[in-house]
Amino acid sequence: MFIRFLLLQIKTATRSPMWQKNLALNLVIGFFLLLFAGYLLMLGLLVNQIMNELLPHQDHFRLFNGILIYYFLGDLLIRFLMQSLPVLTIESFLHLPIRKGTIIRYMIGRTLFDIFSFLPLFILVPVTFTIVIPHEGGLIASLWISTLIVLILSNNFLVTYLKRLLGTKPAVVGAFGLVLILLVILDRANLISLSSISSDIFGYFTHHPLLTLLLVGWMIFTYRLHYQFLSKHLFPDEMQKKKVKEIHDQAESRFLKSMGLTGSIISLEFKLYLRNKRTKTILYMAPVFLLYGMYFYPQNHNQYQDVVLLFVGIFMTGGMMLNYANYAFGYESCYFDGLLTKNIDFNQYILVKFYIAVLISTLCFILTIPYVFYGFKILLINAAMYLYNIGVLSFVLLYFATFNKKRIDLSRGGAFNYQGFGAMNWLALIPTFILPLLVYLPFRMSGHPNTGIAFTGFLGIIGLFFTRFLIRQITKSFFRRKYIMAASFREK
Amino acid sequence: MIEIRNLTKIYGKQTVLNIPELKIDKGESFGLVGNNGAGKTTMFRCVLDLIRPNTGTVLSKNNNVASTEIWKHYTGSFLDDNFLIDFLTPEEYFRFVADVYRLTAGDLEAFYQEFEDFFNNEILGKRKLIRNLSSGNRQKIGIAAALMPKPEILVLDEPFNNLDPSTQIRLKSILKSWQKEKEITMLISSHDLNHITEVCNRIVILHEGIMVHDLVTNPDTFRVLEEYFAVKG
Repeated sequence: MFIRFLLLQIKTATRSPMWQKNLALNLVIGFFLLLFAGYLLMLGLLVNQIMNELLPHQDHFRLFNGILIYYFLGDLLIRFLMQSLPVLTIESFLHLPIRKGTIIRYMIGRTLFDIFSFLPLFILVPVTFTIVIPHEGGLIASLWISTLIVLILSNNFLVTYLKRLLGTKPAVVGAFGLVLILLVILDRANLISLSSISSDIFGYFTHHPLLTLLLVGWMIFTYRLHYQFLSKHLFPDEMQKKKVKEIHDQAESRFLKSMGLTGSIISLEFKLYLRNKRTKTILYMAPVFLLYGMYFYPQNHNQYQDVVLLFVGIFMTGGMMLNYANYAFGYESCYFDGLLTKNIDFNQYILVKFYIAVLISTLCFILTIPYVFYGFKILLINAAMYLYNIGVLSFVLLYFATFNKKRIDLSRGGAFNYQGFGAMNWLALIPTFILPLLVYLPFRMSGHPNTGIAFTGFLGIIGLFFTRFLIRQITKSFFRRKYIMAASFREK
Repeated sequence: MIEIRNLTKIYGKQTVLNIPELKIDKGESFGLVGNNGAGKTTMFRCVLDLIRPNTGTVLSKNNNVASTEIWKHYTGSFLDDNFLIDFLTPEEYFRFVADVYRLTAGDLEAFYQEFEDFFNNEILGKRKLIRNLSSGNRQKIGIAAALMPKPEILVLDEPFNNLDPSTQIRLKSILKSWQKEKEITMLISSHDLNHITEVCNRIVILHEGIMVHDLVTNPDTFRVLEEYFAVKG
């Protein structure tokens, strides 16, 4: 049965149109995963030598054990944030003569097939051979690695259980998180030393097989916890942790109302962003774009510093806009037919989207003004890149958006979600990053970098003068493409 | 009111729609029946310019729907959930539609009153997003929104699906009274032969994209339809 469920899930994944359309992207992701695994393997093989170089006269086994507790705590946290619960659409099985236990065992067992369970082995196994066996001998080493695997499994069961619990008892999960934070704070304050505890514990375990049994008990306990929870809650409506939130009738702002259709399109976009999971994740990511400067500005100046600053400027003032404009139509795929049949002036509609793009970029620019602390030049560069973004990039992106023909399910999260990410999105990155550079480099090479920056911004101003004309061109493209867009948006 | 000329739609090698000629007059209630895959939705999508036909044109008041947009002013339509903006509350969605058709707050209020029975206290004031409503209630919202701008042409794809019995009856009476009082031109498809014969005064049977029967509704129509589909089944 387990195998059959697994085959079903593999089919679900490979037969979804997303998979087939994004085969190339999946291959790229797979390649990077392999690469990453390779790095970990290398790290695992070299850890002994690294320790020899850095800390030659210490007990490497003890040192490595000292790191482990951080790893397992970090693993809990990262899993909690990133590990996605595999969804088995249980509705389709509950009514069949399959024992509930089988379904539950599958649901739990399936969570083990996760990169977080496999990746650590790429370090731990080599370390077993390079450090533990020479140090403690084969028997202890095998005990050591089994202990760790048992712990990885426990972490997996615990986190997936907690994630399910989050739907029904968020307080428990919160308390658990607080304990973790407390531990880290105590460690930072030097009240306790997690690393020496870790060294002791893991060193101790390996010499006391009975304690390993205790850990096995802990693993079984976490498994049972998860199992009990599922067997109590194996009802489709309880598995969905979504709570239907009450929406209070918001008084539409009077300002928006006075703008007529323009206002109602803007308010529609606001709601789209605030009420859907995918778009919300993107809003949460906004600070990352804006904090980019924090990383680059304090760095030492090298000869390419100006080019770096240019990129940082584009990225901070345009990153959010890039996301918005790229999916300007894709995000509306779920009601695209409805829009097309309504009495909407699409020229105005696209113009409003352009205004929103400008608004987003403007907000980002304003928020980056404090970086003037790192020099007035940074403000000037950002201003020029901002002008380029709103006057050139915005139009280019909206034009490309009419070629974006993938349905996007807004209810799915946005981080690591490549749904709707097509070749056009890659293409859109070219004008984003290459074009301004192409404009700038000739000036830089002829010794007038400042003129180059000013000219890039100037291009933006020229673009703004042609707003009406450019929007009309985008509208034309929109009408040429609308059947193709509508047809693919309908495909789920 | 609506004129279809030489309309074909081909997917791959399969012709899913082939209508050499069809005229629907003002005030006519045009019913479309046919088994799954007969091309009903495809035809409606062509009428609403949602897909590009391989050949032929659809004229709405002598305007080609593919090259003009005037028809959108006087055409209300609801085919499926892709017409609803599901992250809005019903009120917000209605307000959006009202804005699009430039209706006033008073118009909207009148609309709410007219559809009070139809909504049956299940739509308004629930503070729920459309995506959290049942499919029957979503269907109600879509139909009501299509009727809101008081269109001259109404296109509904299987409107009785998912509706509870009371609402089906209410919908029928709304459609019949709008026909009589407003001379609205309706294009309705349905799998329910009872409903369609009751609401429509002309019924076309579509089979594999071709109009095989074009009937003027009379007391005998239901029997004819039943006979036709009994053989097909």
